[in-house]
Amino acid sequence: MTPYILSILQGLLVTLGVALGALVVAVVLGLAGAAAKLSPYRLLNWVGDIYSTVIRGVPDLVWMLLLYFGGQILINDIAEAMGFRRGPQINPFAAGVLTIGFVYGAYMTETFRGAIMSVPKGQSEAGWAYGMSRFYTFRRMVLPQMVRFALPGFTNNWLVLLKATALVSVIGLADITNLAKQAGAAARGQIPGAAIIFMAFAGLLYLLISSISLYLLRKAEQRYSVGVKRGTF
Amino acid sequence: MKSTVLTLSVLATAAALVACGKSEPPAAAPAATEAAAPAAAPSQWPELRVAIDPTYKPFTYKTESGEPAGFDVDVAKALCDELKSKCVFVEQAWDGMIPGLLAKKYDAIISSMSITEERKQSVDFTGKYYNTPSCVVVKTELNLGAEASAFKGKKLGVLKASTQEKYAMGELKPAGATIVPYDAQDQVYLDIKSGRLDGTVADVVEVDGGFLSTPDGAAYSCAGGRIPVEFDAKYFGAGAGVAIRKEDTALRDALDAGIKAIRDSGKWKEISEKHVPGVDLWGS
Repeated sequence: MTPYILSILQGLLVTLGVALGALVVAVVLGLAGAAAKLSPYRLLNWVGDIYSTVIRGVPDLVWMLLLYFGGQILINDIAEAMGFRRGPQINPFAAGVLTIGFVYGAYMTETFRGAIMSVPKGQSEAGWAYGMSRFYTFRRMVLPQMVRFALPGFTNNWLVLLKATALVSVIGLADITNLAKQAGAAARGQIPGAAIIFMAFAGLLYLLISSISLYLLRKAEQRYSVGVKRGTF
Repeated sequence: MKSTVLTLSVLATAAALVACGKSEPPAAAPAATEAAAPAAAPSQWPELRVAIDPTYKPFTYKTESGEPAGFDVDVAKALCDELKSKCVFVEQAWDGMIPGLLAKKYDAIISSMSITEERKQSVDFTGKYYNTPSCVVVKTELNLGAEASAFKGKKLGVLKASTQEKYAMGELKPAGATIVPYDAQDQVYLDIKSGRLDGTVADVVEVDGGFLSTPDGAAYSCAGGRIPVEFDAKYFGAGAGVAIRKEDTALRDALDAGIKAIRDSGKWKEISEKHVPGVDLWGS
């Protein structure tokens, strides 16, 4: 039993790697998406709209398979047309990080857009009146205030993202869910109820990660709400 | 025999559409393979990437130390020896098996995949390398035969989109049985234990390892031994084969010759006795 538990714990590293990598991609894309949607330029508004609509309208699993298998076929065809034997292989870890980051970037876009809109416009205007650049105003005035508004939605997105990493099982990555499934199948007949035991263990690991993140994010929320009286907005 | 229909073949079609700019006919691919292989190579396939889904004991699973093992895995190794190739095992979840083959993530699927007409539309198969029958499992004390009418009023669980489900829906349901599809065969066993089901329709080797030989399955057995042989062609196909891409005809022929060679040399028999002792895996 112990070797299987240890192997599932190794999956924890893969799950955490995919989740944190995807989070970075999602935050970058989310900020860019929010900026595009709020920008005064029509073209950027469209790009932002198309991104958040198309991505959020298609299931994560479909994106994952479309990019990993469909993308690979496309690469192979291009490489073969150029005379190579087969194209460079899409790395499953990179595919997982990018797909999940890409999808959750769309959700982050909306979270960040709402948070930016919650910071009174007068704050930015005051910055500009002092001659600060747009970026400087964003970094020093809007960003510190929007974090407080963004955190509840951000926390939500992160927890959903964390569990969405289980989808990488489909593209062959040895994450928690994949290894728990394999352990359950392999130990069948040796350990009674193996499938349930290992799946429950996997569930506990996800619960552990989300509990730790909730604790840390609550600390962050307190930190960014220092200037706000509880009970007021 | 594992026989979940690949729900994602639709997706593979979509992926193929993405790549519709392709101009060369598929037949050009093997020619390119031969041209690119070094002339002095001892084998046409120095390395064979074989996909497995290691969740199907005793055919394909991973040992405690994480090594692939099982009947499928040993057959794959023996076939690689015949082809003078090095076997590289690639793990792939069942849902993405055929899309991954088409995307050239690997060259062959040796993972108890049943040869069915539906799958033949997207991939090619060698001849079978094993073929085991299925049976209807119910309480031994009921003393039922294998004929469909015996299961009137019984509630039976089956694996979704499997050949066993096709048989149950096609023959047992019209005869008055209630059929409940499940996502995994293990869930069926859990519901038999909890009393929600009277039994299941499953592969005889699978059900023996997964249920009948465990304490939970002690009071159960295969009704009448196996499902009557006359239903084999209609529902169960020709057994499990090696799946390869349609254009890799040379590889298919080499693998077919390999299967014949390990049958003739007794290697196949040895592997079969090692993993499933006392059962004729080759079938009819």
